Amino acid sequence: MEFEAVIGLEIHVALNCATKMFCDCPNRPGDPPNRNVCPTCLWYPGAVPRLSGQALEKAALLCLGLGAELQPVSAFDQKVYYYPDLPKGYQLSQAHQPLSRGGGIDVLGEDGQPRRLRLHHIHMEEDVAKLVHEMEGRLPISLVDFNRAGAPLVEIVTEPDFRSPHDAMEFLKALRTQVRYVGASECSMDNGTMRVDANISIRPAGSQEMNTKVEVKNMNSVRHVGDAIAHEIARQSAAVRAGEAVVLHTRLWDPEKKATVPMRAKFEGPCVPDPTVPVIELTPAWIDQLCARLPEMPAARAERFVAQHGMSAEEAAFLSADPEMAGYFEALVDQEIAPRMAMHWLTTQVLPALKSRGLDLDTSPVPPARLAALLRLLAQDRVNAGAAREVLARLFDSDQSPEAIVRERGFDQVSDPEALDRLVEGVLAAQPAAVADFQAGQGKALGFLIGQVMQASGGKANPKVIRELLARKLGPA
Amino acid sequence: MDDPFSHLNPHTRTAAQGPLEGLRVAVQPNLSVAGWPAEAGSAALADFKALEDATVIHRLREAGAHLCGTTAMSEFGFGLGASRAAAALVQGLADAELVLDLAGEARRAALRAGVCGFKPSHGLVSRLGLTGLIPSMEAIGLLASAIAELRRVLEVIAGPDDLDFSMPLEAAPDLAPRAIDPCCTTIGVLPEALEGLSRGQAEAFRARLSVLEEAGFALRELPFPEFARFALVHRIVGSVEASSCAGRYDGVRYGRRASGARNWNEMYLRSRAAAFGPLVKRYLFQGAFFQFERYSAFEDACRIRARLKAAMDRLAAQVDVLALPADSGTVAGDGLSLAGTYAELAPLLFANVTGQPALVLPPASGSAGGGLQLTAARRGDGRLLDLGQYLMALDGKGER
Repeated sequence: MEFEAVIGLEIHVALNCATKMFCDCPNRPGDPPNRNVCPTCLWYPGAVPRLSGQALEKAALLCLGLGAELQPVSAFDQKVYYYPDLPKGYQLSQAHQPLSRGGGIDVLGEDGQPRRLRLHHIHMEEDVAKLVHEMEGRLPISLVDFNRAGAPLVEIVTEPDFRSPHDAMEFLKALRTQVRYVGASECSMDNGTMRVDANISIRPAGSQEMNTKVEVKNMNSVRHVGDAIAHEIARQSAAVRAGEAVVLHTRLWDPEKKATVPMRAKFEGPCVPDPTVPVIELTPAWIDQLCARLPEMPAARAERFVAQHGMSAEEAAFLSADPEMAGYFEALVDQEIAPRMAMHWLTTQVLPALKSRGLDLDTSPVPPARLAALLRLLAQDRVNAGAAREVLARLFDSDQSPEAIVRERGFDQVSDPEALDRLVEGVLAAQPAAVADFQAGQGKALGFLIGQVMQASGGKANPKVIRELLARKLGPA
Repeated sequence: MDDPFSHLNPHTRTAAQGPLEGLRVAVQPNLSVAGWPAEAGSAALADFKALEDATVIHRLREAGAHLCGTTAMSEFGFGLGASRAAAALVQGLADAELVLDLAGEARRAALRAGVCGFKPSHGLVSRLGLTGLIPSMEAIGLLASAIAELRRVLEVIAGPDDLDFSMPLEAAPDLAPRAIDPCCTTIGVLPEALEGLSRGQAEAFRARLSVLEEAGFALRELPFPEFARFALVHRIVGSVEASSCAGRYDGVRYGRRASGARNWNEMYLRSRAAAFGPLVKRYLFQGAFFQFERYSAFEDACRIRARLKAAMDRLAAQVDVLALPADSGTVAGDGLSLAGTYAELAPLLFANVTGQPALVLPPASGSAGGGLQLTAARRGDGRLLDLGQYLMALDGKGER
C-alpha cells in the first residue's frame, strides 16, 4: 500500500527584544549563567508579571508578516507542569485565546506547483531556563541557568497541510525570511532562535483520515528537519506494513545516527487562564499603526524586482530572501548603478569578501555609496573589471575613496589605441604559435592573446580596445 | 494578653511626615517589608526575608505611617485558623491593620473583634510585593476601629502602580468624604443572602435593617436567585488558582528543599509535602482535582462567575449600596477543614468573586444584632465608607 504523510509544524521563534517578556532583565541568554535574573523572572513571592510592550509589538508584527489575523482579544494561560527549568510550576502561554489566527506561506511544492501552507494560530509564551547536567565526582547534578527563563517567544502552529520533507523545508526557509523581514527575530536554528517540532502521521495515499501522530524534536537545521521527517515517514510506514500500531509519543532526532529515538513523556496538564497578566485588547488603531510599519514582504519585493529590473524569478527570489541583501541592492540601484551590475558585484564580490572577513552587510566597511562610486568608474571605463576588483579589496582595508585609490595606485584603464598597439605588436611577435592556432580556426587562442596583452599592460588595458586591435590585425579566424 | 506580633519593628517611630504621620499600622508577613521575615505563614517560606518593599509598604512609609510589625497569619492568609488579625488593634498596639482578604478573612476578623473591616475594590490597591494565593480574588483588606482611619489609609495605598500591570488603567476613585442624606439614599437588600442563616442571625440582621429604615433610608428588596452559587464558584476557581499559584514553592530557587530525594521528581514531592500545612494542602489538592480531572467544571465555574458579576453589577446600579449579613454564625473550629473554613466565611465570599468593595461594621452598641455588611459596585469604595461612617455615628460610635 502507498502511504502519504500528514505533517504539521510547531515552531518556536525567540523574539529579539531588549528585555525579557515579563520583567526588565536583559534578553541575553548567552551571558554568564544567572546574570540576567530578578525577583520577577525567578518568581519570588510578591512578584507580578509586567508584559513587555516591545514583545507584544514584535509578536504582532510577526503575525502580520505571516498574513495572520490579529485577534482583538487574547490572553495568557498557565501551562502547568513541574520541572526545574520552570521557575513557578507553570509556563505563561496563550493556549485558549492566541494572539493571531490564520495566515499562511506560499511555497513551490515538489511538483513545481505553488502550494499554500496554512497557519492555525500564533501565540506568545515565555521561554524556560536552561538545564546543564554535570557530574560532581560520581554524583550527577543538574545546574539551572535562569538567563533564558522568561525570554519572549512566539509559537507558530501550522495546519497539517504538509505532505513531504520538501514542504517543511521550503516552508521553514520562507518563514525565516519573512520573520527576518519584519525584524522580529534572527530565526536561526543553529543558535536556537528558531526551534522546530514536527507532528507526523501517515495514511493510505488519497484517504482523508487523520491517524495517530508522532512528535519529533531536536532538529537543529532545516536540513535535519527534512531528514527527520523522511526518516519518521519511513519508520511509520514500515511499522504499519508490519502490522504494528503507531503510538502517540515524542521522539528525538539523533543527527549522528540519522534516526529518531523515543523520548520519555513529560507530564502536562490542561491550561488554566492566568489571573495576573491582563487580557490583551488590540484596538483597530493600534493594529493600523503596526500595519503601517510592516515592510514590503519578500514575495512582493521579488515580484517588483522582476518587473522593475528584468530579473529572472530565481534571481529575484534569491536577492529578496535576505532583507539586508535586498536593501543593499536597492541602495546601489538608487545610486544609478545598472541592476545587473549591482546584483553581480554584490553577490560575486561583496558577499564573499565579507564572508572571508567574518563581517556582514550591515557592518560592512563598504556601504552601498562607496561601492557605487567604484562601479561608476567601471561603467565609465575609467577602470577595467580586474582593476575594480583590486580597488574593492582595498576599500575594505582603507577609508580612501575609490577615485583616490585608482589615482594613487595608477589603476586608470589604458584605452589609448596607440599605446596599446605597441603592446599588441609585441605580443603577436612573441606568440607565433598562438597566432597560428587562431588562424587555423581555434577561436580560444584569441582569449589567450588578449590575456597576454593585459598582462603586458600591468592589468590596466581596456580589453575591448585590445580585442578590436587584435581583430583588425589578425583578420577573421 | 499575649503578643499579637510575629515580628516587631525594632524602631519605635518613623521620622517621615505626611498624612499618616504617627499612625501605627500593623501588617501581615505576606507583604514585603525589606529585611523583615516574609514567610506568609507557610513553612514553604520559612526564614524567607523580603528583598524590597511592597508598593503598599512604600506608600505607607512615604505618608509617615509607623510600621509597627507583622501579625501572625494563617498559611498564605487562607482562613483564620492561625491568624491573630485585629488583636493588635484591640490591644491598642496599632491604629490600623492590613489583612489579606482572600475569602473574607479581613472582614471576618474585624467582625470577631468588633472593629471595622474593609475589602477594597479589586485592582484598587497594588499587589506588587504581596504573597498571595488567589490573585483574581484577593485584596489587601483594612482593619481599624473607625471608618476615618480606614479612609486615611486607603487614600494613601490606593491608586495606580506602574509596576503592577494587573491593575486596570484607571485613576483611583474619589475617596474624599461626602455627606450622606438618608432621604436620598436607597439601600438594597438581597433576600437570598439571608438563606442559610440561623433564625437568630436572620432576626438580628432584620433588626439592623429596621434601624436603617427608622433613620430614613429607603430599603429595596432585590431578588438574586443565584446568590448561593458564590460559595461554589469561589471554592472551585479559588482552589484552581491557588493550586497553580503555589507551584512556585518548589524548593528549587528559594525556600526549604527536602533532603534525601533520589531524583528531582522526589525532590518536588518531598519538598512540597513538607512545605504546606493541612488546610492549604487540601485546598491545593482540590484545585488540582478540578484542573486535571474536572476541567469542564472549572470552565463552568468561570462562566457562572462572569454571570454572577454581571448580575451583581445590575443590582448594585439600581440602589446606592447593598446591605447583607456579615456573620455566618459558625466558626471553623481548628481551622483545618475546607468545609468549615468556607462555612465560616460564606456571607463574605461574594465580594471576592466579583471584585466589588465590601465593608463590615461591628454590631451596634447595646443591640443583639449581628454585624452589618455593606457593598457597592466596583470602585464605589468612597460611597461605602461615607455610609459606613454615617452608620457608625448612628450606632453611637462617635463618628460623623
